[in-house]
Amino acid sequence: MQPVVQFENVTKTYGQAIAVDDLNLAIEPGKFVTLLGPSGCGKSTTLRMLGGFETPSSGRILLAGRDVTHLPPNKRNVNIVFQDYALFPHMNVARNIAFGLELQGKSADAIHRRVMELLRLVRLEAFAERLPSELSGGQRQRVALMRALAPDPQVLLLDEPLSALDAKLRQQMQIELKAIQETTGKTFLFVTHDQEEALTMSDVIVVMNNGRIEQMGDPHTLYSHPNSVFVANFIGEANLLKATVVARDGDRTALRWNGLEVQASATGHPAKAGDAACIVVRPEAIRFSGSPADGVNAMPGKIRQRVFKGNHTSMLVEVSDGTHLTALVHLGDTESIAGEDVWISWKPENATVIRDEAVPA
Amino acid sequence: MRAYFSDIPRTLLAMGYWAFMLYLLVPLTLMMAMSFKDANFIAFPIGDLTLRWYSQVLHDKQFLEACLYTIAIAVATTFAATVIGVWIAMLIAQSGSRWSGILFALACLPAVVPGMISAISLRVFISTIDMPTGTGAIVLGHTVHAVPFVVVMALTRLRSMPPNLVDAARDLGADSIVAFFRVTLPYLGPAIAGGMIFCVLLSVDDFVRTFFLGGYRPTLPMLIFAKVQGGMSPEINAMATLVLIVTAAVGLYAEYMTRRSRSR
Repeated sequence: MQPVVQFENVTKTYGQAIAVDDLNLAIEPGKFVTLLGPSGCGKSTTLRMLGGFETPSSGRILLAGRDVTHLPPNKRNVNIVFQDYALFPHMNVARNIAFGLELQGKSADAIHRRVMELLRLVRLEAFAERLPSELSGGQRQRVALMRALAPDPQVLLLDEPLSALDAKLRQQMQIELKAIQETTGKTFLFVTHDQEEALTMSDVIVVMNNGRIEQMGDPHTLYSHPNSVFVANFIGEANLLKATVVARDGDRTALRWNGLEVQASATGHPAKAGDAACIVVRPEAIRFSGSPADGVNAMPGKIRQRVFKGNHTSMLVEVSDGTHLTALVHLGDTESIAGEDVWISWKPENATVIRDEAVPA
Repeated sequence: MRAYFSDIPRTLLAMGYWAFMLYLLVPLTLMMAMSFKDANFIAFPIGDLTLRWYSQVLHDKQFLEACLYTIAIAVATTFAATVIGVWIAMLIAQSGSRWSGILFALACLPAVVPGMISAISLRVFISTIDMPTGTGAIVLGHTVHAVPFVVVMALTRLRSMPPNLVDAARDLGADSIVAFFRVTLPYLGPAIAGGMIFCVLLSVDDFVRTFFLGGYRPTLPMLIFAKVQGGMSPEINAMATLVLIVTAAVGLYAEYMTRRSRSR
C-alpha cells in the first residue's frame, strides 16, 4: 500500500539549532499514528512542516505520492486541530465547521448536510447556533475536530489537542477520538508528550528525541520491547540493569548482573558474549514469593518502601548490591509479602536486552 | 481591592471629584439654559423661555450646509484614516519587536504634534505642491491627525488575537487575502468601529487644521467661530447645544457597543 505521508531525509534547522534531523517516516493510510516525545524533540515542527506552516531546510515531504514540500497550507489537503482549538470567535459552531467547505466552493445545501452530519457524530446538533465562547472546553475540542475533518483531508493533524482539558475529560476524549478515527477511517497524525495518551489511542507510535526517531512500532511492542534507554524510560516505568552478556541462545540471552546469572529475551540488539548491555525490567514483571522461586532470575531482597497508589502498591526493593528495583503489586496480592525479606524474580520473556547507554538517574 | 492611597481621606477625594464635575458641568448647563432664553442677548436672569432659537437654527440654511459639509469631511476622513490605520497596525503587528517599536512611535507622531504646528506645516506643504486649500486639504489634515487613534485601537485588538486563528483559516484553504477579510477583519470589528467613531468626533471637532487648510465653505466649528465674532446671541447657544447632544449620543453609543462586544 502506498503511504499517505512520506518524509524523505527531512531536516529543519533554526540557525544553529537542529529541530528535525534527517527524518525518514512513512505513514500508512487509515492509521492512528502518534508522534511522541518530550518538548523540543521536533514532533511539533514535523507536524507543522506537514501542515505547510514550516518549510524543511532540506528533504522532501510527499502527500499521497505528491511532493508538497513547498506548497502553502491552503494548497494541501491536510487539516490541523490546534492545541488551543483556534475556533473563529465571531462565527457560530456551524459556520466554523462550514468554513473549509465554503472555501472548497460546495453548494449551501451540501455544506448544510455535511455540517449536520459531523455535528451528529459528536452529538452537538443542538449547539449549531452557539458561539465558541458559549461552549465548554470539551465541546470546543469536538467542534475544532469537526471543523478540521469537514473538508475531508487526506490526513488529520492533531497538535496536542487534549492538553488544555482536565484529566477526566482528557480520558473521555481519548476514547472518543479513537472512536471517531475508526468510524471515519481517516489517517490521524497525533502529536503529544503524554505517553499514556499515545498508548491509549495509537496504532503506531513514533518516539522522537533530539529531532530523530528513537523507535517506531505498535504500543505493545514499544512497551514490552523498547530498544533504547530513552524509550524504556519515556514510555512507562522501567528498571534498568547494567549487565554483561554471557551467551546468546535462540530467543534467550544470558547475562551476568550483580554477581548473578540472569536471563532476558533477546531482541534486535546484536549482543555478543562479553558485551556490556542494559536489561529493561518493567515494575509489574517483578514477582514476589516468600521462598526462592523455581527457575531463573530469582534473588533475595528487602522491601524498603511501600507506596499505596489505590489499585496497586509501588514497592522499592533493595537487592544484594544495594541496587533499588521498583516493583508493582496489585491490590489483593499484597498479603503474601507482609514482611521485609522477600524473594523476587521475573520471567526471561518479560525482560528485554538493549544496548548499553548511560542510565539517567 | 485595597486602595493604595488610603492615607488621603475618602471625603477629600470625593470633594475634589465633585468640584471638578461642577467646573465641567456648570458652563455646559449655562450654555444649554441660555439657548432657551427669550431675548437677543446672553445674560441673567433668563426670564421667559422659548424654542425660537432652535427653530431659527434648524431653518438656517448656512447652518445646515455647514453641518452637511462637516459630515462629508468626517466621513471621508474616517474612511481614509481607518484604511490607513488598520494597514499600519497590521504591519506593526507582524514586525519584529525592535522594528515595531520604531514603526509605532512614528505612526503615533501626528497625535502628539501640536495642532497648530501640524496645521501650519500642512498649509506650507500644500502651497509648496500647489494644492488648493479646501475640502481635499481639510480631509488630508484630518486624516493625518486621526490615523494614530485607529492604529492604537486596531493594534491593541490585534495583539490580543490568538496567533492560530489566521493559521487555522489558511489551513482550511483560505489564501492570505481571504484569511484577512474573513477572520482578521471581523476579529478587529469592535476596535475598528471604536476607531471610526473616534475619527468622526476628531474631525467634527477640529478647528485649527480646518481653519488653516479650508477654503470659503465653513465647517460647523468655523461657522460658530464666525458667528461668535459677530456677537454672542442665544442662537449660538442653540447650535452648540445641538452639536453637544449629537456628539454625546454618538460617543455613548460607541462606548455601549465596545462594552457589549468586549463582554462577548
